[in-house]
Amino acid sequence: MEKSFSFSSYHFSAASQKQRDKDLESSSSIRGGPQWKSAGGEEELAAFFHDHDTILQVSEEVDGFLETSATTPPLLHVPDCVHRLTKILDSMVYRYNTGKSKLGKDAEDDDLFLAVVDRISKISAILSTFPCDPSVLDKTTFSLEKAMSFLEKHLCTILQDPKSSTTTTTPTSSNHGSFRSGSGSESKPKPPKKSSSFGSLTQVHDAALCSPFDLVNLSDPPIIPTLSSHQDQDQDTSFPAFSPEKVSLMNKIASAMIAAGYQTECCVAFASFRRIAFKTALQEFGYVSVGMEEIHKMQWEMLEGEIATWNNAVRHCITVLFNGEKKLYASVFPNQQSISQNLLSDLARAVIIHFLNFAQGVVLTLLTVEKLFKFLDMYETLRDVVEIAIADGSYLERCRKELAHEIATTKLRIAEATMAMFRDLENSVKGDNDRVPVPNGAIHPLTRYVMNYLEYACEYKDTLEQVLRQCLHDDYHSCRYYSPIRKIELEEDDGTPKNSALAIQLMTIMDLLSLNLEYKAMLYKDFALRSVFLMNNGRYIVQKVKGCKDLHQCMGDNWCRKRQSGLKLHHKDYRTETWSKVLNCLSTDGLQGNTSSVLSPRANKDKKPKQEVKDKFKRFNSTFEDIYKTQSSWVVSDEQLKSELRASIAALVIPAYRSFYGRFKHHLNSSRHVDKYIKYHPEDIEALIEELFDGGTSKRKS
Amino acid sequence: MMIRVMIAQQKKKMPATTENNHNQGSFLGRISIRRNQVMSMSMDGSHDTECEEMELFQRHVAERFAELLSCTDEPEAFMSIGWLRKLLDEFLCCEAEFKAVLLMGRDPFQIAKPPLDKLLPELLDRIIKSLDVCNAVSFGIDSLRNIQRLAEIVLSALDQTLIGDGQVRRAKKALSALLSAMLHEDKDGGITKGTERSRSFGRRGNKDKDRSAAAPFRSLSWTMPKNWSAAKQIHAMSSNLAAPRGNESSGLALPVFIMNTVLVFVLWTLVAALPCQERNGLGTHFQMPRNLSWAQPITALQERISEEWKKKEKKGTVGLLEEMQKMEKIAQWLLDFADSFQFPAEADKLEEVKAQVEELADICRKMEEGLEPLQLQIREVFHRVVRTRTEFLHVLDQAAKLNIPTS
Repeated sequence: MEKSFSFSSYHFSAASQKQRDKDLESSSSIRGGPQWKSAGGEEELAAFFHDHDTILQVSEEVDGFLETSATTPPLLHVPDCVHRLTKILDSMVYRYNTGKSKLGKDAEDDDLFLAVVDRISKISAILSTFPCDPSVLDKTTFSLEKAMSFLEKHLCTILQDPKSSTTTTTPTSSNHGSFRSGSGSESKPKPPKKSSSFGSLTQVHDAALCSPFDLVNLSDPPIIPTLSSHQDQDQDTSFPAFSPEKVSLMNKIASAMIAAGYQTECCVAFASFRRIAFKTALQEFGYVSVGMEEIHKMQWEMLEGEIATWNNAVRHCITVLFNGEKKLYASVFPNQQSISQNLLSDLARAVIIHFLNFAQGVVLTLLTVEKLFKFLDMYETLRDVVEIAIADGSYLERCRKELAHEIATTKLRIAEATMAMFRDLENSVKGDNDRVPVPNGAIHPLTRYVMNYLEYACEYKDTLEQVLRQCLHDDYHSCRYYSPIRKIELEEDDGTPKNSALAIQLMTIMDLLSLNLEYKAMLYKDFALRSVFLMNNGRYIVQKVKGCKDLHQCMGDNWCRKRQSGLKLHHKDYRTETWSKVLNCLSTDGLQGNTSSVLSPRANKDKKPKQEVKDKFKRFNSTFEDIYKTQSSWVVSDEQLKSELRASIAALVIPAYRSFYGRFKHHLNSSRHVDKYIKYHPEDIEALIEELFDGGTSKRKS
Repeated sequence: MMIRVMIAQQKKKMPATTENNHNQGSFLGRISIRRNQVMSMSMDGSHDTECEEMELFQRHVAERFAELLSCTDEPEAFMSIGWLRKLLDEFLCCEAEFKAVLLMGRDPFQIAKPPLDKLLPELLDRIIKSLDVCNAVSFGIDSLRNIQRLAEIVLSALDQTLIGDGQVRRAKKALSALLSAMLHEDKDGGITKGTERSRSFGRRGNKDKDRSAAAPFRSLSWTMPKNWSAAKQIHAMSSNLAAPRGNESSGLALPVFIMNTVLVFVLWTLVAALPCQERNGLGTHFQMPRNLSWAQPITALQERISEEWKKKEKKGTVGLLEEMQKMEKIAQWLLDFADSFQFPAEADKLEEVKAQVEELADICRKMEEGLEPLQLQIREVFHRVVRTRTEFLHVLDQAAKLNIPTS
């Protein structure tokens, strides 16, 4: 029973008159039809008393009128119930406008009001086809306009502040679902999988100037993809944040407005407020509007952050915000598909073009190698999130073509930039001609950088393949961007994807790197060190390739085999270069002929062979010591290579020395200062060989 | 012509210098370098073709803008949506021709040497700046659409058999919002919300009348960054725009200058015509070159637009777009009508209303048909200049590589 009083408990007071809304009053009290001249007067409005039942009764009469006028020829006389209902509506609107009643407080009251609005709207429609007294129509349309005006205002109030709870309702009043779209099975934005950054080549070189031994770990541990902690932000976001009650109310208001021909007002309100809501939501996400020129001028360190934010914002917007928005419109305009579509299309177009502008701006910056992976992140976001959403979104019919074109264009720009960045990498590798060799034949920072870069690039294998292909297939670009260095010779490789554009690109860079390393090797004057340098770097490259499945797949087994046999040649060169000298010292050539006499203790008259043995030992000692001195400071960072080298040296030197030692040792037993000649036991030599290539870290214990 | 005469003279001198050159010192050596240049240019007759191409380019630019100057009638009336679309079409043609003149079949080397080594990067920089302008005017079209919606409300209110208090009241609200949107467009960055006056809702004793109720709504820099100014951007694009002098005025510097001028002029026109963020001081001229035949139509257009702008600037209107100018007048008239409306209205007054409403409907129809294509065209300009920039960068890059052979 209480609800029937919601329009009935008003008592006229002088004070409230002063609070009147001039807008509401308008000019109606001056004129008006003869019958009900005073209907617009405020006192009357305020004093007009309606209980629920009266309203229902009048409504019924009006329904009767509406029914008959639909079938019978138009009447000249408008029944009294029409006037009464108009008056009722006026007073209802007045109460709402003055705050005496509140829309959204009680669903039944709301429905009653909206039912009256609906009837007046119908009456207006019918009367406009009537040759009746125009002042009657004027009254009803004016009354309707005031009601519409109020509804529009109320709609704006709800739209403006989704979270406010001024219009609390009983929770049972709605059948509409909740809008907490971030929860449950709702797809959350997928974080960009790799968001770490990659240094530039120059940074590597700067670091290379410090200390050569610091280089061992420089950029070496593969950059571990880290998940951005930013992702959790959207966990609890509910968007849009309208309560089910408000959604229900908006639906009722929108239906009433559309029925009365106020569709445009309704759409304008939605379009503006939802646009602002989107902007705010994205701002909360850290995404703000940046001009193209501003992006162009931005430092990379800062832009990197912006790109990460952009990726998150785009994913969030498409997966969470758009879906929420779609649901909202589906609930507010359930039977007005074209309205929802238009609103969503306009909104999506504005937002997505905005996003694309950022990407376009980023692509305008100087294209250097270290930016590649961030660019690919953007590419993936566009491909995996935006493009798919556009293709799926039937609700975006109106702008789908345009957006698809825009996205494709932006992707192409990123693809071109990717090509340009690979060109930059190629040029950097080609042009890296520092004239100072890395000390001790260690792995060159360029090798590390390039290999880590390529390994990291393989994280984006599929995307890169796609991107490179896109550019290659574009005739226009193929002749301009593709470097002719390597023709497809992958055919001979087995187990290699034959037509992989990425593989070709990787090969090109590997080849350039090898060429450059050969050039760098020439900087060493010591031939043996050249071989060690090439072995070190070559080994590193092969190990990197073998250690990364994707890289290995791209380069193929054959490539690895070739590289490895190349390494064996360097190994051989090294052995010949360094250790043949040593073996020469141990040759028994000069002593061979008179071995017996040397060995015979009785042949003591002949001192010459003894002297020769002494000399041989001395020469061996000094040669070996020289080698030890230099080569123990050389660096072989790969443990396996190191032990391989040591084993191969030992296999070469130890047996020769052991036999020489065994044969001539006691010859000198009687000599004074025997230690001078026989400094080393074979075991000593073995131990010393184990100390080679340690970068001078293990000092000889004497 | 001058050039050709000079070349002819050089050609005549050639045999003599060649003979002497073999055993003479550095002075003649220098001459021989010049000779070689001339030789290489005229060997295949490409120099003559080049001159022709350049003259043709100038003539085409002049013709295109002369045509725009002569547009006075529907549907391409001066500064109308149709006219702007034509303007952008012409721009895209100029741009394509420019690229053909400068890039096609040309050795990257030529483009990378003075004076282009300085002029081209300047052009590329202007292109970056132009992108922001493209975006700003594109957003401006969004706000024109909003104005169009408001006008459509006016239409649905007043395009009735009976015009009563309800209709007038509805129209009045929309008209106020519409005029307010037009007045505040500059500052709002393009978003006008609702049919407004809801700001005053609920405040007791609010003295707001419909007329002034459309409180300007501050948007949260959705469109352009907060402090971005179209006028400043245009100024930055035009301030260092200098006509090539002396020898340069006949070389490749000229098409670059023409393209720069066309680019700045077209964007300046768009900013003047469409709603755009912060346009104070837009009316100040950028210096147009005098006495150049190709530039005369552009100069004439620019003067005409400047004059219009001066008239309108103080009022802070939505822009010079012909449709908006007309709509503003109609809206003003209708609002006056609404203010003094008494039911029932006199028949002849209603006739007038009907005429105004019809005209308004006509404008709305033009906007409905033209705004979207216009926006797409602006986008096309955006993409086109980005592409051109990439192409030039590529050529410059190639030239740089050729120039410094890797040692």
